[in-house]
Amino acid sequence: MKHKRKRVMKIIDEITNFLFFVGAKKISIDYEENDEGFLITLEGNYKKEKIKEIYNLVKYLNYEKEEEMEEYYWELSGNYDMDTELTLVGMMTDDAKVYYDNDKVTIFLVRYK
Amino acid sequence: MEKQKKQFKLNMTYYVLITFSIIQIIFGLTQDSPRGIILGLQSILSNPDTLVSDYFGIGGIGASFVNSGLLTLIFLFILYRMKHRAHGVTIAGILTISGFAFFGKNLLNVWFVVFGVYLYSRYQKDKFSKYVVVALFGTALAPVATEIMFSTLLPYHISIPLGIFSGILMGFILPALATSMLNFHQGFNLYNIGFTSGLVGTVYVSILRSYGFVPEPRFIWTTGNNLKFSIFLSVIFIGFILFGIYTRDRKLSEFKNIFKYSGRLITDYVKLEGLPFTLINMGLAGLLSLAYILIIGGDLNGPTIGGIYTIVGFSAFGKTPKTIIPIFIGVLIGSLTKTWGINDPAIQLAALFGTALAPIAGEFGWMYGILAAFVHSSVVLNVGFLHGGMNLYNNGFAAGIVAGFLLPIFEAFRKDED
Repeated sequence: MKHKRKRVMKIIDEITNFLFFVGAKKISIDYEENDEGFLITLEGNYKKEKIKEIYNLVKYLNYEKEEEMEEYYWELSGNYDMDTELTLVGMMTDDAKVYYDNDKVTIFLVRYK
Repeated sequence: MEKQKKQFKLNMTYYVLITFSIIQIIFGLTQDSPRGIILGLQSILSNPDTLVSDYFGIGGIGASFVNSGLLTLIFLFILYRMKHRAHGVTIAGILTISGFAFFGKNLLNVWFVVFGVYLYSRYQKDKFSKYVVVALFGTALAPVATEIMFSTLLPYHISIPLGIFSGILMGFILPALATSMLNFHQGFNLYNIGFTSGLVGTVYVSILRSYGFVPEPRFIWTTGNNLKFSIFLSVIFIGFILFGIYTRDRKLSEFKNIFKYSGRLITDYVKLEGLPFTLINMGLAGLLSLAYILIIGGDLNGPTIGGIYTIVGFSAFGKTPKTIIPIFIGVLIGSLTKTWGINDPAIQLAALFGTALAPIAGEFGWMYGILAAFVHSSVVLNVGFLHGGMNLYNNGFAAGIVAGFLLPIFEAFRKDED
């Protein structure tokens, strides 16, 4: 597979884009690479009126991994700041967990090598 | 814990597409004698396929529908073997193949490109299944092989190997290019492979022209079958709608959710809203496109049915009637003010395939969609020469240029939220 790390970068870009979209003013990113894959954690605050977007995030990130969609469309992820490609992130990750409370959302993503 | 992996099995999307393909074959068999169909297929397979080659005029209606149905069945079998989970993109890919099997893709010429994509996957030491979506759409360049193979300018012992090599080469370079080209239009041109193939075709034909090989222009366009095809297509599209209504598991009023998406790549309605609502959307888009062609006094033939099928297919992957209408209006306004008529063949195709730009209407609003289509109808008439008609998705090429050109301008003048 080509561009292994660039693809991870695209995933981070896309989630960061989403956090901006839901009104985040403070974002923290944690990234770790090990022998098995990439572990990505993003945390940010969000505006309460955007809670529906958080529900959508949970739905989209839980889409099953689809290598054929990733292989063709991965360049779209994280590129456009007026719309999100969260379904694509779902298709590019092996595991996704979203935790949220009243004003903060935490997103854990795992992508195996 | 990892995401739950579902066991692979034929899902309802596969069954719908298989049924659709079988209907194509059955309809074809009612249109001609078995001997007529075999001779027709022979004629289709042994002719160049550059734009515009209406197979109804080359091999007859019966052979064309059998070609379309068989080709889609074979591709569905390949997808099944690859354990591809069928959803919106699959419907878009299969119906695009089915539609273009009326004017450019046939049981012979598509395999060279597919084999080229396969070789690319082997070169990358990857599974072919990862590139199968590119292979589906990549058959846009199928005419490259047959244009050279059946050229009258070269002896067969040169033209056939050269044609095969060229087709394979196209498939080999397509995957890397197709992904990269998405950056140019940001997913606002649904026919991204059309844009990519246009560039590949332009470079390739430029090289060929430097050696004195000029692709021969073709224009085969049949007329006079509107009533027959109106009935056939209406039955298919109403069938989609009724099946969607019958199999839905949510209130019909929730169907309107499908209109809230911009349609920009990737918007997979099967995943987002489920197959039943997607089928309703496909049926409505099909009926709308059919009505458009009939209202403007157009012709239902291989190319226009191909255009309608492509709209129907992409109504599972980015298009809705709401975003298609501005495109039709834009082309219509263009034809009132420009030097051509609304029912000129190229303009009929510009309206149908120009719906590749539907996401612009979905994202920015209907006025922007109209403007994009207005520009598109001019651009598309000027780019076919570049690739000598070898890229079947000529409108996809033009739509990529239009989207990439207009997008930064639209963004610059759009009011930001903050």
